[in-house]
Amino acid sequence: MSSAPPSEDLEDLYETAPCGYVSLSPDGRIVKANRTIAAWLAWAPDDLVGKRVHDILGFGGQIAFETHLAPLLRMQGHVHEIALDLLKADGEKIPTIANAAEKRDAEGRHLFTRLTLFKAVDRRTYERSLVEARARAEAEAEAQREAAVLREQFLAVLGHDIRNPLAALDAGVRLLGKEALSDSGRTIVREMAGSIERASALVDNLLDLARGRLGGGLPVGRDADAPLTPVIEQVVAEVRRIDPDRQVEARIAVEEPVYCDRGRIAQLATNLLSNALTHGAADVPIRLEAVTEGSDFILSVSNGGAPIPDDVRERLFQPFFRGATRASRNGLGLGLYIASEIAKAHGGTLDVRSTAEETRFTFRMDKRPPDAA
Amino acid sequence: MNALVRHNVQVTGQGDRAIMFAHGFGCDQTMWQPVARNFEADFKVVLFDYVGHGRSDFSAYSPERYSSLDGYAADVVEIGEALGLREAVFVGHSVSAMIGALASRRAPEMFSDLVMVGPSPRYVDDEDYRGGFSRAQIDELLEFLADNHLGWSAAMAPVIMGNADRPELGARLENSFCSTDPEIARDFARVTFLSDNRGDLDSIPARTLILQCSEDIIAPLEVGQYVHSRLPRSEFRQLSATGHCPNLSAPEEVTAAIREFV
Repeated sequence: MSSAPPSEDLEDLYETAPCGYVSLSPDGRIVKANRTIAAWLAWAPDDLVGKRVHDILGFGGQIAFETHLAPLLRMQGHVHEIALDLLKADGEKIPTIANAAEKRDAEGRHLFTRLTLFKAVDRRTYERSLVEARARAEAEAEAQREAAVLREQFLAVLGHDIRNPLAALDAGVRLLGKEALSDSGRTIVREMAGSIERASALVDNLLDLARGRLGGGLPVGRDADAPLTPVIEQVVAEVRRIDPDRQVEARIAVEEPVYCDRGRIAQLATNLLSNALTHGAADVPIRLEAVTEGSDFILSVSNGGAPIPDDVRERLFQPFFRGATRASRNGLGLGLYIASEIAKAHGGTLDVRSTAEETRFTFRMDKRPPDAA
Repeated sequence: MNALVRHNVQVTGQGDRAIMFAHGFGCDQTMWQPVARNFEADFKVVLFDYVGHGRSDFSAYSPERYSSLDGYAADVVEIGEALGLREAVFVGHSVSAMIGALASRRAPEMFSDLVMVGPSPRYVDDEDYRGGFSRAQIDELLEFLADNHLGWSAAMAPVIMGNADRPELGARLENSFCSTDPEIARDFARVTFLSDNRGDLDSIPARTLILQCSEDIIAPLEVGQYVHSRLPRSEFRQLSATGHCPNLSAPEEVTAAIREFV
């Protein structure tokens, strides 16, 4: 003879369930509680009845009950997963996770508030350590952000202060160049002029970086009051003077006025040319083209040599990015970043295409004033 | 930004006189709806959310501006100016009772009558003054808020599961009940529970009704009586509603009391 499967005793399930049950009257008094929670709190079940819910909650929980739980329960009928500290008869706290729901009658009148509570000592400890870790991470991020601002301010001040002695050196070298010198003297003066030129370009880029980072982008002053061609010719001449052994070919056909900051376009061309000098194959000529085409002004610089790998290309225009080649000749890694910022400030684009035949950077902008476009 | 957008201001009802309801710590304008709707027949009813609560513009929050209740009072006055309020009634729950008092002093012609529901000018005990809170208890409350960083977002986004076929309902619920940015909630708790506006009470010009709840642990009876004794033109009324939110637990009683006063 087989015995019938045991049936669940609902009364016993309520009383000894592995979670606490508390029912509250609408004015917040305990009207029923199960034995599980009475045992947790070290009260006799009958002694719990009639107490206010505040009597079994930690202080934070009491306030939260009044300011958050009660209003939410009235408005939406239930609240889930609240971390609540219960208070034992002896004042010790029990961390729990609570769900609550209002029991309402057919007319919607509030009869009881039912709470189901789960002990959650480990979970609450874990959550608290998460909260603490987050606070620490936030503090560290803030400290790093402040340090970064300081670093950039330092760069700005340093760049600015180096400019003056560089200007003095430049003036001195120019004066020396006018003196009667031996052949080797003239060579030395020319090389010194080239070095000063490079140092000045580095400082300019550095200052632009600091300015761009510290406040709203690169400053540009655009107009179309003077021709652009001589400015670009000057840039090409300087590059040839600094590096007479490299072949630099230029095709300049700027037929119409270009609404731009000519000093900035010169800086962009300088940065693209020195990038080509640094990374291009020495035996392939560098080509600069500057043309007007329709409504656009286009300036491109190409060089030979190995193509730029994809992963490098993605980061090419980021500040302080330096390719894998010969770090000593690389400078600060600001040239292409500044060039792309100049392009942006002109509402233009700076793109790169790199194949086995050539690597070409192309700057393209609308040559008309913005309101005419 | 426009104060009406910043505070998600909702204007309903018909009437020449305006009545503005302000929510307290822990909730948003939703908590006034059961009372506010009873005034729509004969008042211009104004509801709003403080910055960082409900559907306000959270990006307008600044810890500096809101480092004292004055910043909140300035917002109330800005809303009043945008709506051209004059001789209006301001109904403030909990901490908003004091915010309303400060606003009425800033703009006496804007709010001629105040209703304070569960007011407290200072929550922490101080020498002879009994606010009902100790400093350690305030810290415990802040700890509770930190603990519920994760929990609150769950509470604020009521289960959508039952409404899988009506996702728009879920989205609406998610945003409508007492949603608060946890960081802002913590700041607001600190500003609220550490405020001391006892010195401001003497100079509040508006007629005031104090509604005192029974068994309110946040604003106990003696605090309500203290406010009454210090406010020059105040009436004191004991409600039979219990707890700190009679606007939700007993909207009829609160409505009747406000009606009698205005």
